[in-house]
Amino acid sequence: MTVLHDPGVDGDIAATAPWEAEPIRIGGLGEPGTLLLSGPGATPEGEDLAGHVTRWGHLPGLDGTQVGALLRDSRLEGRGGGGFPLARKVETARLSPGRPILIINASESEPASRKDRMLCSQRPHLVLDGAALVARSLGVDEVVVHAHRGGASPSGSLTLAIALRSAARLADPVWRLSEGPDRYVSGESSAVASYVDGGEARPLFSTRPLAVQGPSGRPTVVTNCETVAQLALIARVGPVAWNALGAPSSPGPRLITLVGAVSHPGRVLELTGPGTIGDLLAADGVLAPPAAVLVGGFAGTWILGEEAWQTPFSRQSLDCVGASPGCGMVGVLPHDACALNETARIVRFLAGESAGQCGACVAGLPQLADSMEALARGSFRRRGVKRMTDLADTILGSGACGHPDAVVRLIRSTLDVFQDDVVRHLAGSPCRGSDHSPVLFVPDAAPGPLVDGRKWT
Amino acid sequence: MSVTVRIDPTLCRGHAICALFFSDGVELDQWGFGRVIDDRADSARLVRRAHRAAAACPNGAFIVHDDAAAPVLGVNATP
Repeated sequence: MTVLHDPGVDGDIAATAPWEAEPIRIGGLGEPGTLLLSGPGATPEGEDLAGHVTRWGHLPGLDGTQVGALLRDSRLEGRGGGGFPLARKVETARLSPGRPILIINASESEPASRKDRMLCSQRPHLVLDGAALVARSLGVDEVVVHAHRGGASPSGSLTLAIALRSAARLADPVWRLSEGPDRYVSGESSAVASYVDGGEARPLFSTRPLAVQGPSGRPTVVTNCETVAQLALIARVGPVAWNALGAPSSPGPRLITLVGAVSHPGRVLELTGPGTIGDLLAADGVLAPPAAVLVGGFAGTWILGEEAWQTPFSRQSLDCVGASPGCGMVGVLPHDACALNETARIVRFLAGESAGQCGACVAGLPQLADSMEALARGSFRRRGVKRMTDLADTILGSGACGHPDAVVRLIRSTLDVFQDDVVRHLAGSPCRGSDHSPVLFVPDAAPGPLVDGRKWT
Repeated sequence: MSVTVRIDPTLCRGHAICALFFSDGVELDQWGFGRVIDDRADSARLVRRAHRAAAACPNGAFIVHDDAAAPVLGVNATP
């Protein structure tokens, strides 16, 4: 496992994070030079083109068919949250009518995740190399790289990297940098596609997958920036060697962001091999299982600490405990904090960050947030829990995007994993964690999800 | 002749008119937002009702796809 952290990304959670110059590889897999985070330490500009080419050489001159074979043989899965095989997305777009559009998604809407920003700012050329490869497999000569606006945007590093590549006359596609609203749902793939097409950065309702037909009418591939950076590695080390750097059910290495009660919240790790969540936490100095961990992002799944400690961070193992790797966020809840409080804060944030389009979000999420807060405060009765779960059942699957479903899954996971706490809170017993300061980095939600064209463009 | 119906949840504002015309295939949630429970209309009567519901929806949220024109994929079918 390689540990690297960009100290300059975000003052909120990364101010105390150290810079690890020496990679740590707990899984023991992978040559030190073959990972995303191998190489020099963090700098304000990230690794420059000369350093990148010295370490990796120029991008191999593969044609579209060869890149397609790499995607299939490596079984590369998306790293943005959905985990969808990139080979299938690309193949679908190639077989659909119209010239495809390729968008690299560097939005990283997940407030506590840092890995995409860190990757784009520290290893921009791996991201651009990978994007160039996907462009070849799609047969397109333009690539859009989309990020959120704001202080944490990696656009500066990407702009510089693109200028260097242009000066070096690399055989690159035409790059187009795009910056959109810094809102949670604006990083969702259809919202990104909509924004890049000149619309609002809000999720779309469609009966067709984007790769078949995006908002412009053309097949649209939206893929996460870590996903394509992994492809840049695959082209160098070969799909079989790369595949073996992961667990059997989770091909390849993977970037992880640690947040919550760890020594350095916001630290980004690179996991190789079948490392457990305990291994990941131990790399940050957590030596005993915490109360619980939230895996996969704010829209993720809670796992009790003892169980999580033993659970390998792989798709299959996480699936066994009802979780999925998601965006690679691992949030740590200490023993003296309250999971219901933390969940209530997250649900309130997610309710405020909806796009305000569908009934599920407009009418449902604020009610769920009220209920979670009442439960956390201890001013809830058993009937209220029943009403909340009924409401959650109603909401599930009724929105245009996965936002309301994610909130429902988080609440179900909370009620399931923290049954004892729920009982205590219902009984009005004092909660050990009620006075604990917030553990997970949950920003204030935007003033509201109200529809105001300007907020979304 | 058969059609498949959809409700675009980003456009639906809960007027519930679709549930009057296409009552067999739509149910309303607690706020009145419509939800398709049976998306197929394959009799002349149902197809007529589907088109009426689409015409009556003030937000254009009730969508009728002609199955002969284009296959309808599930929203989350593939990528």
